[in-house]
Amino acid sequence: MSNNKDIFLPYKTKDLGSIHPINHMKDSIMSLLASFGFEIVDGPEVETEKFNFDMLNIKKTHPARQMHDTFYVEKKSNVLRTHTSPVQIRGMLERKPPIAFISGGKVYRKDDDSTHLPMFHQVEGILVDERVSFAQLKDLIYKIVYSLFGDDVELRFRPSYFPFTEPSAEVDILSSEGKWLEILGCGIVNPIVLENCNIDSKKYSGLAFGLGIERIAMLKHKVNDIREFYKSNLDFLSQFK
Amino acid sequence: MKIAYKHLVNHIQENPSIEMISDKLFQLGHEHEIEGDIFNMEFTPNRGDCLSINGLLRDLAVFFTVNSNKKISNENIDTLNINFTNLSQEICPVISFLKLEVEKIPQTYSGCLKDYFSELNLNKNNFFTDISNYLSYETGQPTHCYDANKIEGELVFQEKSLDCEFETLLGKKIRLKDKNPVFLLNDEVINLAGVIGSMNTSCTKETTTVIVECAFFKPESIIGKSIKYDVQSEASHKFERSVDPKCHDMVLRRFINIVSEHANIIEMSLISYNYHELQEQKIPVNFQKINEIIGININEDEYLSYLSKLGFNNEDGLIKVPSYRSDVKNQNDLAEEIARVIGYNNINRNDLIIPECKRIYKSKEIENKLRYCLLDLGFHEVINFPFVNNDKDSSIKIDNPLDSNRDNLRINLKDSLLNNLIFNERRQKDSIKLFEISDIYTSANGVIKKIRKIAIIASGRVGHNYEDFSKKITKNYLSELFKNSLPNEKFDFQVLNRDSIDTKKKDEIVYFETNIENFSNKVMEYRETSKSPDNFILYRPVSDLPSSKRDLSFSIKDIDQCKPLEKFILSYKDDLLRDVFVFDFYNNEKKQEIKIGFRFVFQSQNATITDAEVDNIMNDIIKRALELNSVSIPGLS
Repeated sequence: MSNNKDIFLPYKTKDLGSIHPINHMKDSIMSLLASFGFEIVDGPEVETEKFNFDMLNIKKTHPARQMHDTFYVEKKSNVLRTHTSPVQIRGMLERKPPIAFISGGKVYRKDDDSTHLPMFHQVEGILVDERVSFAQLKDLIYKIVYSLFGDDVELRFRPSYFPFTEPSAEVDILSSEGKWLEILGCGIVNPIVLENCNIDSKKYSGLAFGLGIERIAMLKHKVNDIREFYKSNLDFLSQFK
Repeated sequence: MKIAYKHLVNHIQENPSIEMISDKLFQLGHEHEIEGDIFNMEFTPNRGDCLSINGLLRDLAVFFTVNSNKKISNENIDTLNINFTNLSQEICPVISFLKLEVEKIPQTYSGCLKDYFSELNLNKNNFFTDISNYLSYETGQPTHCYDANKIEGELVFQEKSLDCEFETLLGKKIRLKDKNPVFLLNDEVINLAGVIGSMNTSCTKETTTVIVECAFFKPESIIGKSIKYDVQSEASHKFERSVDPKCHDMVLRRFINIVSEHANIIEMSLISYNYHELQEQKIPVNFQKINEIIGININEDEYLSYLSKLGFNNEDGLIKVPSYRSDVKNQNDLAEEIARVIGYNNINRNDLIIPECKRIYKSKEIENKLRYCLLDLGFHEVINFPFVNNDKDSSIKIDNPLDSNRDNLRINLKDSLLNNLIFNERRQKDSIKLFEISDIYTSANGVIKKIRKIAIIASGRVGHNYEDFSKKITKNYLSELFKNSLPNEKFDFQVLNRDSIDTKKKDEIVYFETNIENFSNKVMEYRETSKSPDNFILYRPVSDLPSSKRDLSFSIKDIDQCKPLEKFILSYKDDLLRDVFVFDFYNNEKKQEIKIGFRFVFQSQNATITDAEVDNIMNDIIKRALELNSVSIPGLS
């Protein structure tokens, strides 16, 4: 037997860390969209009602604005943003068309049960130019969905309702179990929203879309319980390296 | 809302199957589940006009030949003499009252009324309320039935500030507070308008004379009331989404017709109040604009044909929006109508060109570099909710928190990360390295400030390998580690006191938190070895049950057997074996003997693991390992 220690050394486990699966998913989607040509823009999570609701054509009476749906802060002077859409307003006010940018981050709704969390993540994008159409929006959505779920995934568009887009659609993909699963919302920017941002809606039109990151991450990683993402459990987190 | 297939198909000439109707409803954007012969519909909030048989048939008329053919009374009706005052006409611009007296209340129902209760398996209340409920289902217009004998005096509608008790017709007592639109009889609230009536004026099984109230309320005056008072109300669901302000005559004449099919009407009278002329919505005919919005190429005839099937007619170059479609106001709204009829899935894709992207801004690049450096050093990223209960001067207060323990936004990341660490210690984790990057919001003199922060926390063993297993994470260790990785950056690690933590662990907890902006561009010089996973990992469910550990130390005389032994053990598979690693290694050159220690971690998904289960697996491992030449386990008899 050799007495040279270097001849055998056991496998040395290297404890590598992990990016949180939600941030990984968010970054993957943002990188994908940036590769399409979208600029990345950031915005605050503590927002004014003006940017979070009014400018987006969400009327004072809309149920989303009720105290049981939205977190109000500092004696109702602000809200915790309920979606990343206010960043689109800020971005449009700061830029002149043609514009194309995305934004991702945390959003808040007053929910806390087994399927809803008070905080979750979204990525949204907007493109404003002359003669932007729903058919072009479809093209973009196909590219996003194919990139995320593969070219052979079947998807469908359903009419839906968002105050800030018209026409509006929700997009489903067909799961391997044969069930349609909703993955994103999108639409043609409501001309009222463009005008609110000092953009001439007779000359310009826009498309917008938004994805719920937790939803996509659950589908991609086959996580059944959304709460797993936020337990900070090392047995969970260490799987995503 | 539940709608019986039978109630739709009875009015469709082509007699489509439930699946055919379902397909068309999806195309139109009306989500639903099919439960037997019932559509359980979920309408978008802008389509209050569809909350009825007639509403859905109006939409389905673009695909099928629809004949509503609902009989209404054409009789001349006397004018009702009622002592009514409307003090909030802007909220209720249109209202009608119908008074009916019947000779005798019917014991059984026939026709559509009978069908309604049997198909939807509903409970009956009383004759007039049952008709009211049915008509809401058929026409979408809620009506309210008062027992006429209980309405003596002055009836007033008013949006009024209140602080009084109100007993609903379901017997629930609620305290009306703040502004509410109400009907008052001699100054007493008898109806929370658009939501629910009162017990003391409602109809009973004995009621033979009824006053039917049929109103249009501005949605904003009704919205949120049923939630505020925790009252289940189909009427408010409809009023909140807007009803047709011009349907009163049709609805009340239909009411008369259904009553007349069941009872002998002795007397009837009707009055309608129109306080404001409701403006008709008209949109210029512009099919080119519609083509532009959708990205299609239809001609004007097709455009007009699609719209007319939905009830939108061309009047002198203007599209007249039907009174029940309060959601349609501009060309984009019309574009959505056309797109729904064509079918979103039938619209072809057009190439989209996107302008060139700008670079990601600097702070994100530094942040990402830090993130990958932390991965190389074995740290796991966490994301925490920002809600805490430690009220500090600078913390942002939540006006409507989920509970009193979550009524502030955190002003640092420390408490969250400390909780994460303790959580993992309690889950028997012996090497914990976590980090979080997050925006922190504070408030000072009404100004809200945002700071991007990074925080690191660690405790326990340095690592799970034979070199690091016996070393503990300390302030000095981490300071040295980060100094080696990012020599130009300052890491002021601190040791957190365990005194206030409910734990028996003694390991040092080392913590560091700073603003992202405190890092220099030198961070970008770091060359990471970690990278994002290329594929999306399929998650293995985490067990919340306790784990069990076993250590085995092998002695190997023949060095050639070291690799086979290591390979055998590290690749050993069992559902209960969660982890295995080499925690000890020693080459005794004098004795020409190598010792390797393995740690095995067992855990079950289904039940607390037993010693017997662990012994079974360990015995198999030991038996097969000892089959290797010169391998022994010191101390094993």
